[in-house]
Parts: sequence; structure tokens; C-alpha cells
Amino acid sequence: MSTTAITGPIARPSDEHRPGSDVDDRIRCIVVDDHPAIRLGLSELLAAEPDFRMLDAFATAEAAYAYAQDAEVDAAVVDYQLGGRSGLWCSRRLKSLPRPPAVLIYSAFSDHLLAAASVVARADGLVSKAALGSELCDRIRDAARGQAVLPLVPPAVADSLRHRLDPTEQAIYGMMSARTADAEIAATLGLTAEELEARSWTMLRKLIRIDASRP
Amino acid sequence: MDDVAQAHTNRRVTPLTDPPPSAPEAAGRRRYLPLAYRVASYNAVVLVATVIVTILVLAPHKLSSFETDEAITLGLALILIIALNLVMLRRAVAPLQKLTALARRVDLSSRPGERMPDAAPTSEAGELAQTFNEMLSRLEAERSEATGRVLAGQEAERLRIAQELHDQIGQELTAVLLGLARLRNAADADTAEDVGAVQEAVRASLEDVRRIALELRPEALDDLGLHSALAVLCERFAQRSGLTVEQRIAEPLPPLDPESELVVYRVAQEALTNVARHAGTDHALLALQARAPDGPLVLTIADEGRGIDGDGEPGTGMRGMRERATLIGAQLTIGPNPSGRGAVVELALPDTER
Repeated sequence: MSTTAITGPIARPSDEHRPGSDVDDRIRCIVVDDHPAIRLGLSELLAAEPDFRMLDAFATAEAAYAYAQDAEVDAAVVDYQLGGRSGLWCSRRLKSLPRPPAVLIYSAFSDHLLAAASVVARADGLVSKAALGSELCDRIRDAARGQAVLPLVPPAVADSLRHRLDPTEQAIYGMMSARTADAEIAATLGLTAEELEARSWTMLRKLIRIDASRP
Repeated sequence: MDDVAQAHTNRRVTPLTDPPPSAPEAAGRRRYLPLAYRVASYNAVVLVATVIVTILVLAPHKLSSFETDEAITLGLALILIIALNLVMLRRAVAPLQKLTALARRVDLSSRPGERMPDAAPTSEAGELAQTFNEMLSRLEAERSEATGRVLAGQEAERLRIAQELHDQIGQELTAVLLGLARLRNAADADTAEDVGAVQEAVRASLEDVRRIALELRPEALDDLGLHSALAVLCERFAQRSGLTVEQRIAEPLPPLDPESELVVYRVAQEALTNVARHAGTDHALLALQARAPDGPLVLTIADEGRGIDGDGEPGTGMRGMRERATLIGAQLTIGPNPSGRGAVVELALPDTER
């Protein structure tokens, strides 16, 4: 399946291997956005960064996931609103890969509940579409180094979240916020991996109303 | 309040066709003799004529030889009969006057459901009242249908514009922003500074586009549900008008159909806008809770500000809220805050089988 929408070659100065370095330690990036202009803009922006290697851009969450299964990806910039399945679905799927990339949710509106849902989708960060390009690049670098932070959920919203989730889910949410690995969460709460997976989708549905949050 | 002033203006403008002259006391209308008096006067003429003819036929000589007391008795009897006739006629005509009064005061939008009492086909007046009631019901149904169509059309149009703003202009501006970022990286220091200024300008436009789209259509309502949409709404009021909104929203919120959610959202939006604009306070309460366990939800927006001026006549904003409420069978009440200061807007959702 190829929904790569970048037509024609784009300038990728960073594709040329840097002299004097045998190991390519650049951050391998993919972009998922259903808007062609943004796909192109993001691809060009990331390709121009010397420490990034722009791999490919996708219009749908499914295409990006299919690609990431066979390729080594360090960072994925994922639009929250995609035509079909949402960016949260994509994030959760990418993060369940054996070698998961860092995932940044790229959204036009950064709401606290989206931040909370991003935690459950195991995304590493939430970046506003109004952010400057340099900020986005810095956030990608942080995320790839495992240093990204999701925006804090304010107390009022956190309180409202507690009402939405049952005690087990609250515990899962707490551990996810602390970036505990899925396996560890499952072990701590005595859940199987499948049970935790199912719980995550339920939580996503409770937090954010999108039919794309189905597994 | 602007709304109240507007309502008065509207009121002067709305009746394009004046009601036909029907009451003598109404200013600016031609005076006429009410129906009961007119019929009574005809009856009086006929009665007096009958008496004269009877005397002429039965006792013609009597006419010239009336005793004073006989004449007085006859005169009093005639006056009594005529007065009695007038009283009976007035009673018979009373329903017509009631009908006229109702027809003049009836207001389909703010006080629907007002009807003529004693409407039964037992007399002409009763039948007229019944027909009138039927006509009111028909008009109300048509009006509510038309309002529903207009509001649905308005929402659809808002949604379309908001989506276009968001999906087209918003996305293109994001793309421009990304392009500028790339230009800035490749440019020399001076140019980079200029590009930076352009970036800031584009970013500001992007924020504007997003704000307008959000106001047009609560995106959060579709994506995050009513609870979050109301939370986002309150947050926006806090940011933009400095109005702190205390939220008391039932958890978990019972499921509502999308139409009702939109009505609740729009009423909350309008009521908070009124508080921010007119109440002269920086604190309001927004509650969406059921009064009884498993009871229907009630949306309450209360403030302790200046309160409603005048008689609380509905203005365009309030009328809009009322029309939306009618659409889903909800009851909207606007009144003074029981605490003594400020106003309360209440939207009671209909009790549906849940």
C-alpha cells in the first residue's frame, strides 16, 4: 500500500552522507498528514535539517503504520486529524512496534483532553500547528532523545478525567503519564498484554470521542 | 441590556399589518358601537314599534287616553326588557372579545401554547374559538418547523465555513509557516530576521483563523464531546473576557443526541456571552446536572452581576436561545438570581426515556 503523496523528488541535502562519518546517526523521520501542502512543507523542512533524515510522508495512519513495520524510524510527526483513523490510533500502533519511534502529535488545536489522550496513545509530545518550524524541529530532537514532555494537564481537567476513568484505568493513566512501559504496567496491575491493549482503547474512547480510536 | 432594547425596536417593526379595528378603546382606530349595543338598539326599536303596533291594533283609543302611571309602568317595563336584552347580548358576545384580546396578545415564539378556554362546538363562538386554537397549533407547528430549518441551515453553513477555514486556510497557513521556517534556515542573518517577522505575522493569522473557526463551530463538540466542549468554552471566556466560570457538570454525563448537545452548547455560549458583555461581573456559574437521580438534565448559567433590566423581553440573542430550546422540546427560563443579585438562565431538557 503506498499513499505517499509527495510527487517528484524533493531536495534532500541531508541524504548525502556526511563526510568523515561512517555511521549515519541522523534522526530518521516520517510525516503523517492528510493535507498535501503540509506533507510537503514538513518534508522539506525536515529534509533541510542536517541532523534529520526524511524517510517518507503519508496521508493515512494505516499507510504510515504499514511502512514503519518494515522500516527503522526514529521519529514520527503525526497529524491528529486524519481522514480515516486518527493520529492517536497511529501513535498507539507505532508505539507498540518492537522498536517504536518517538511520536509527536501535530495538531491544529491543542486541548488538554487531547494531551491526556496523547498520553494513553503513548505519544511523546503534542505540537501545535502554529508552532514555528524551529520549535517543531527542537521538539523532534528532544523526542528522539527520549526527553520530550507532554503538556501538563491542568488540575480541573485532571479532576474531570478521574471521573471518566475507573480506578484501574486511573492507575494505568498515572503510570502512562510517568512513561512506564506497557509491559511493566501490565505486570504491576496483573493484566495480560491483550487486556492492557483493550483497556487503552477503552480509555481513548472515554477521553476523546472519535470513532477512529478503535483498535 | 441591548437585547431588551432590541426587543422593543423589533416589536415596533414586526407587525407589518395592523390588526383590523375591533375595539373602540384602541388608540388610532376608528370608534364604533360594539356589536352588543348595536343589536340591543335594533332590538329596542323593534320592541317599541311592536308595543305601539299592538296598542294600535288592540286598543286604538287607548293611545289618546294614557294615564300617567300606566305610561310610567309601560316605559319602565320597556327599559327593563331592553337592559336585560343588552346584558344577554353582551354575555353572548363576550367570547368574541376574549378571542380578540388573545389574538392581539398571542406570541408564538416566546409564549407558545396559549389557547382559548371553553373551545367546544356548542355555539358559534365556541366553534370560532376552537377553529382559532387549531389555527394557532398549526401556525406554531409550521413556525417551529421553519425555525428548525433555519437553525439547521445556519449550523450547516457555519460548519462548512469553519471546516473550510480550518481545512483550507488553516492548513495552507501552516504550510506557509513551514516553508518560511525552511527559508529562514537557509537565509543570511538579515533576511532571517525579516522572515522571522513574516513568520510571526502568519502565526498570528493562523491563531485568528483557528479562533474564528472555533467560534463558528465548536470543533471540540464533535471530537471531544459536550463535557470537554463546555470546559473549552469556559476556558476561552476566561482567556478572552476575563470571566471566571465555575463549572459543575454531571459525571458521567448521560448520553445526549447531537442535536441536544448543540442546543446546550449554543445556549451556554449565548448566556455566557451576555454575562461577559452586560452583567458587569467577572464570575459566573455553569452547571449541567440533573435535579433528581435519573431525571432530565438542566443547564444553568448564573451570575451575580447587574441582572436583567426592564421586563426581560426577549431580544435576538434570547429569542435565538428560546427557538433552539423549543426545537428539542426543552424549556428555557430567564429570570433574576434567587440569591438576589444577577440573573439565571435555565434550560431544562425534556425528560426522555433513558
